[in-house]
Amino acid sequence: MADRRTPIAAAALAVLALAGCSPEPPDEPGLFVLGVDGMDPVILQRLMDEGKMPNASRLAVEGGFQSLGTANPPQSPVAWSTFVTGRDPGGHGVFDFVHRDPKTYLPISSATPPVEPGEAIELFGWYLPVSGESPVNTRGGTPFWDALHDAGVDVEVYRIPGNYPPTPSDAKVLSGMGTVDMRGGYGVYTWFTDRPVQGAQHLKGDIQLVSVQDDDLDGTPDTVRGSLKGPPDLFHLPPGQIPGDADYLTAPVTFRIDPDRDEVLVEAGGGRALLKEGEWSEWMPLGFDALPAGMMNLEGIVRFYARQVRPHFEVYASPVNVSPAAPAQDVTTPSGFATELYALLGHFYTQGMPEETNALKDRLFDDDDYRRQVALVQEDSGAMIDLALGRFQRGDMTFFYLSDIDLQCHMLWRLGDPKDPSAPPHPAFEPEAAHTHGQDIEGYYRHVDQVLGRVLDRVPEDTLVIVMSDHGFQSQPRTAHLNSWLRDQGYLVLKDGKRTGQIATGDVDWSKTRAYGLGFNGVYLNLAGREAQGIVDPGAADALLGEISSRLQGWADTEKAAPVVRRVFRARDIYSADRVAEAPDLVVGYDAGYGCSDESTLGEVVEATLEDNTSRWSGNHLMDPEVVPGVLLSNKKIPGTGHDLPDVTATLLSHFGVPAPAGMEGRDIFTP
Amino acid sequence: MDLFNALTSAVFDVLLAPFGYRLAWFDLVLWPVLAGIGALLVYKKVSNQAGIAAAKQRIMVHILAVVIYRDDILGVLRSTARALGWNVRYLAHNVVPLLVMIVPMTVLMVQLVAHFAYRPLEKGDVRLLEVALDPESGVSPKAVQLQVPQGVAVDAGPVRTPDGQVVWRLKMQDEGDFTLRLTAGDEAQNKALAVGGGPRKVPVLRSKTWEALLYPGEAALPRKSAFESIRVAADERDVSPLPGGEGGIVLWFFGTSLVAGFLLRNRFGVTL
Repeated sequence: MADRRTPIAAAALAVLALAGCSPEPPDEPGLFVLGVDGMDPVILQRLMDEGKMPNASRLAVEGGFQSLGTANPPQSPVAWSTFVTGRDPGGHGVFDFVHRDPKTYLPISSATPPVEPGEAIELFGWYLPVSGESPVNTRGGTPFWDALHDAGVDVEVYRIPGNYPPTPSDAKVLSGMGTVDMRGGYGVYTWFTDRPVQGAQHLKGDIQLVSVQDDDLDGTPDTVRGSLKGPPDLFHLPPGQIPGDADYLTAPVTFRIDPDRDEVLVEAGGGRALLKEGEWSEWMPLGFDALPAGMMNLEGIVRFYARQVRPHFEVYASPVNVSPAAPAQDVTTPSGFATELYALLGHFYTQGMPEETNALKDRLFDDDDYRRQVALVQEDSGAMIDLALGRFQRGDMTFFYLSDIDLQCHMLWRLGDPKDPSAPPHPAFEPEAAHTHGQDIEGYYRHVDQVLGRVLDRVPEDTLVIVMSDHGFQSQPRTAHLNSWLRDQGYLVLKDGKRTGQIATGDVDWSKTRAYGLGFNGVYLNLAGREAQGIVDPGAADALLGEISSRLQGWADTEKAAPVVRRVFRARDIYSADRVAEAPDLVVGYDAGYGCSDESTLGEVVEATLEDNTSRWSGNHLMDPEVVPGVLLSNKKIPGTGHDLPDVTATLLSHFGVPAPAGMEGRDIFTP
Repeated sequence: MDLFNALTSAVFDVLLAPFGYRLAWFDLVLWPVLAGIGALLVYKKVSNQAGIAAAKQRIMVHILAVVIYRDDILGVLRSTARALGWNVRYLAHNVVPLLVMIVPMTVLMVQLVAHFAYRPLEKGDVRLLEVALDPESGVSPKAVQLQVPQGVAVDAGPVRTPDGQVVWRLKMQDEGDFTLRLTAGDEAQNKALAVGGGPRKVPVLRSKTWEALLYPGEAALPRKSAFESIRVAADERDVSPLPGGEGGIVLWFFGTSLVAGFLLRNRFGVTL
């Protein structure tokens, strides 16, 4: 007679498996990594010494604290890709925020290089695609989560930078920095105002000049109508055409203003929010119809901020984020992870950099407005980390990214140097704002410490906890226009003897240009056979690179009596060979206090070579890696020093006994 | 309208009472199945069963003819036309049962929605109180006043819109069943709020239009009221694994009653 217990036991196991229960708890300690973008070891040490970061101090005493070598260049997408894959940029192929297309000399995103446009059938003004590819993430190497997941470790990764579009994976991963908004931009806001904005065309948002109408003709203006742009209207765009202002799907928005009170009722996407001045709305879903009759409705989410109702109408709409409830594009792997998180958390920021830095840079927000918005991001992030901690079990691996410090150091350094309080005021110093917000960066460090405290309190006792940052920070009081310097040195020549111009608008005379700058730290030779109109003979490239390097290292800021550049690196000397051909020929390591201008980064040549940095983007890290190391903290003793990012990656794998994938360079930080 | 709502609510409050509000899934399975059975019985009683059987048979005959004589174009067209004609007759046979069943089925569905689609607000929740004035009343939005009980705070507003709406933002500070009082000139109306506590019938909308029939949780507004509607949106109640909310319960009700009716048609000797 057959044993009847076997099918019963099998059924019981199946039920347990279906219920998501593991029959036996894993017998190895878990690993929780807190990735804090931009945390600086000098600032952290000071705050720990002052007793302001008790949880970090606890880790430093019980385990270890030291500087962590960053990537070269120390840019977030480069550094995080290095951490993710355990490979240098030559291995993963991310060399800068901005790469260039050698065929056109135009800047392109390192995250999502453009793809060849597909074909479409045109029918009554509609373009119906019949072929084409979606942009993909070209980062090379094996992400640590894949290696862990394949080895059977339950791994969850929250808001990892440089993973948009998400690389295919079975592990649960939410993409972070680099994830675009619904327009395909990196934070394109909308500003509704009845007051003209100077230089609106140069701002990073959509400025809608509106009029407050009197709908009921009672003599009191009461209604503002506008629209929010969503994704490009691809069914009305010929393949490959870059969308113009009128080529986006839109959703209407109406603002009703009370006749007596400075309050506004926002009506958008079938929802309503009532806001006082200085208040943010909750997330409001918006639908964008790509096809008629609801055949393709793309859902986004937006938050409104009533900055001012009277005397001038000023309402800010956040970039339209991809809705996690019904993602119009993948922001997670597997795709369903976004909706799983939505079911547990409600709506959350999916845009890669949720802090509204553009509004502060563009001076639409003051520091109070900005702080209110950052508080929303912290709330959002706090709910998510609580969720992650609730799901974390012994034997699991979770990575959680915090943006608190990086963007706030970029934006608020001008109000008080947290690294050197005796430093002279930053050129963008604002005394009044400094009085209120001069200590904000310290506050954000303390917030990270509170989050760390929650992690330490909630993870199982034997969990290995690592806190790491991708780089540190420095003040940036001076801005370097690298392309202008190349012009003055005779390496870059503009047409018709002009002194200013742009690569993108065809102002460069490529028949006389030997080198040009694109990206925050890159210099490329105009190399024959590689660049479309290259003139530098490959045989002469080495000598020319040596000459430019030497001159760059002699670039002095005469006004400040200081060197501009600390070191210059040749790509072939610092990167592994796999993808070095895609790298800039030279990587410029600016000295502390200097950084490449936004203009030069995108290929613009302006008159000056150096000037004061009066932008609110006042702290920076796009310098020589040695002046902006990151942080490594752990609750386990770290025997040696001199570790860098790939060592942390190697540690994640060795903790679970998972062999390192081919090409991974690091060594376990806990192995003497 | 108000009397109708009051009567049906009284009946269903009793019918649904034995199982309470907590066992939502039980009522949400039982009543659609009973509705399917009831519909079968009504269908059997009021429909022309012989006519329906004949129509179905003729439709099948003509569809077969289309298949068999597919080389004869004229024959195919003729049979298709006849099949369509019998289809129309079949649908006509369904009109009377549909008319008989539509009211009780709708009432049952509305009552299930009223009882199980929403959950009470939670302490700390912030919600909009949306008041629409009847444009024919001549009452100005500025004349509308709100009194809130202890436990509910006005967080922002009112914002008065040019199309005769008045909106407040309310914050639920305590748990309980509260009554908001709205006045417009001499008229005063109440609006109920359910905050905290166990699952129960959650008041959502008071209206003086036909919409009141869909929201029997509160009395309809008087026909002569200056208020056209008073609404505080509620969140959907989680009745998983069944679909929740208004749309979910409506779809579930239709689907379950149809499936039940279809599966039980032979047992009850009904030709559909």
